[in-house]
Amino acid sequence: MSKWIRLWGLGAFVVVAAILVGVWFVFVDGWVKCLIEDAGTEAVGAKVELDAADLSLFPAGLALSRLQVTDPKEPMNNAVEIAKVTMGLDGLNLLRRKIIVDEMAVEGVRVGTPRSTSGATRDVLSQEEESGMFSIDLPSLEVPDVKKILKQEDLETIRLIETLKADLKKERDTWDSRMKELPGNAQLAQYKERVKKLKQAKKGGVEGILGGVGEVQALQQDIEQDIASLKNTKQEFEEKVALLRTRMAQLRTAPKRDIQHLKAKYNLSPQGLANMSQTLLGGKIGSWVREGATWYERAKPFLEGAQALQGKESGPGVQRPLREEGVDVHFKEEKPLPDFLIRRTTVSINLDLGDLAGTVYHITNDQPTFGQPTTFTFSGDHLEGVQSVVLEGALNHVVPNDSKDKLVFQAKGYGLNNFALSKDAKWPVTMMSGLGDIRMNATLKGQDLTAQGGAIFNNLQLSAGKEGDTNPLTQALTSAVTGISQFSLQADASGTIKQPVVAISSDLDRILQKAAGNMVNELAAKFGANLQTAISTKITEPMKELKSKMAGFDGIAGDLTERVTQRNDILKSLLEKTLPTKGLKLPGGLKLPF
Amino acid sequence: MIKLLAKLLRVLNSETEPGQISLGLCFSMIAGLTPLLSLHNLFVLLLVCILRVNFAAFLLGLGVFTGIAYMLDPLFHQIGLAVLTTTSLEGLWTSLYQSVWWRLEHFNNSIVMGSLVFSVGAFVPILLLSNLLIRRYRKHILAWIQKTKIMQMFKASKVYETYQTLSAWRHG
Repeated sequence: MSKWIRLWGLGAFVVVAAILVGVWFVFVDGWVKCLIEDAGTEAVGAKVELDAADLSLFPAGLALSRLQVTDPKEPMNNAVEIAKVTMGLDGLNLLRRKIIVDEMAVEGVRVGTPRSTSGATRDVLSQEEESGMFSIDLPSLEVPDVKKILKQEDLETIRLIETLKADLKKERDTWDSRMKELPGNAQLAQYKERVKKLKQAKKGGVEGILGGVGEVQALQQDIEQDIASLKNTKQEFEEKVALLRTRMAQLRTAPKRDIQHLKAKYNLSPQGLANMSQTLLGGKIGSWVREGATWYERAKPFLEGAQALQGKESGPGVQRPLREEGVDVHFKEEKPLPDFLIRRTTVSINLDLGDLAGTVYHITNDQPTFGQPTTFTFSGDHLEGVQSVVLEGALNHVVPNDSKDKLVFQAKGYGLNNFALSKDAKWPVTMMSGLGDIRMNATLKGQDLTAQGGAIFNNLQLSAGKEGDTNPLTQALTSAVTGISQFSLQADASGTIKQPVVAISSDLDRILQKAAGNMVNELAAKFGANLQTAISTKITEPMKELKSKMAGFDGIAGDLTERVTQRNDILKSLLEKTLPTKGLKLPGGLKLPF
Repeated sequence: MIKLLAKLLRVLNSETEPGQISLGLCFSMIAGLTPLLSLHNLFVLLLVCILRVNFAAFLLGLGVFTGIAYMLDPLFHQIGLAVLTTTSLEGLWTSLYQSVWWRLEHFNNSIVMGSLVFSVGAFVPILLLSNLLIRRYRKHILAWIQKTKIMQMFKASKVYETYQTLSAWRHG
């Protein structure tokens, strides 16, 4: 037995195992740090950095210090910075390769903190210019030079005239050519000659009549064919002409369309003032919605988990294969748990306004397995500049194809100081001071977004316009705006999360339209009249030319009618006068076929 | 590598039991072909330590089989996936899946399972084959080398005598 067993080997094994455990223990913190940084960077698309990670075994727990998540759009800023994260780990499940945390504390959360180095991992897409986002398309109060406009603009009326003129010429050429091909005067002369011959044959007695019967039939057939051909051509011609006349009629309404288009293009339409709040705040609210949608899209795959993506709920499920790492085949668990779950997280957020406290339940990467949605509540009272803030929500992706997310936000007594509504160079608008009560309720079912938001602003002091402004419109608007002490706002979002449509309405619209609407309307009417006159003058000659070309088609119609009439006359004379067959008896009881 | 080869030759030429060398090679096959940081390799290490297995053969084999494993990964993946998705074995795997130790073993990974099945399956045949080859090597090739005139002359030389003396000192 001792030939095969060496007892000292047991000691050697213990030593080797102890060395391995020691090495693991020394390097595990660094490994965890790298793991979190790599996974975070991959998920966010910008650097996620951690100052230190400390994994303890008895009891199992993890503490993270200074977690920085770079804002992918502003790599010199952190989207979030967290001072400390502590959590207790379920050791038994850790051995099952599952990170299950009963309680996690997130302390010192701050947003938008500056970074010492860039956190970009890829090229940052150039951001939309802020000035562009807030640009106001105000109606202009200068009546544009109509002559100059008509020189520059591609008018629909002129385009239609030119096209119709070309088509008329083409049709005219075509019909001239076809008229030459149709049976004409030469053919008519031949028919007359043949009739004359038949008359002479009549004088030759019964034999002459009988000999001419075949010729009469042939002549009749030829004339009838000519008539049919001429009638068909005439019908075709009339259809073509009717089409051209319709286009001619359409031309009469084209100047009106041109005027409408030009009035809108040169900002002389009062519609611009109809929804000024959309113009002022639409871009800003839209950018918030888009920002939210971007973060939501990033988080969504983590909520639903790999199992849900494959649509498998039980039985062996194969995960996506990794090169040289094989694939993990998953089997049904007696007590299924996701690979990652934090049952309860307490969060303290340090904002400029003050501290917010919140609780998040059930953070997991696999809601379908866990069977419960992620819910969260954040609130803060008596903050600097805000009386109270409440944010509540639920991310329900338990059934990935029927996800339902909800978000409710309410802020009372939100102090507004130097809040720029518009940074437009022509007409800047700023809320110098005021208080706002804001509420928002958003629901996302699958991809369908429904959100209703409302705000009431009180005790407002608005500043608008710039010094030395001579524009009467912006002067009128500024005067109206600076007198406003309160207004309400309703912002609704619909559509899909990828293409949200934000609709904003406010009593600001009514105030602004009242202030400047009449001014713009009068100006628009004047501009329209000028345009009408200028366009009418410009198209007088081309229209005359068109009418004259159209009149030319009447000659063709008359010619066709004349040709048909002439042939009908010949046919009539042929049948009634040239061959009086009434009472004529043929030998053997024969009858003429006409 | 050359050192290890020299060591292997020395082991083959020594009085070490062929079974100990073969067992070292076979254990290294399991440890080398399967992912090194697996729970079962701790058990293999324990066996290598407490059984009189030739360490040199084990270490040499470990290097060789680890290299081979990279080439055979696609095959192991196929075998593992086939074994893990066999309907008749689903009950067994499901019950093992509930156990913490088996989850730690990561048996549900296609490469772990495939390489383990392959190396354990090849264990006995390789053990017997290597035993046979070592015996034949010693009986025919080594005996022939020993009989060659060059070897006779070398053995009679003072160099060999010194080597033997030093070798004896080294092995104490």
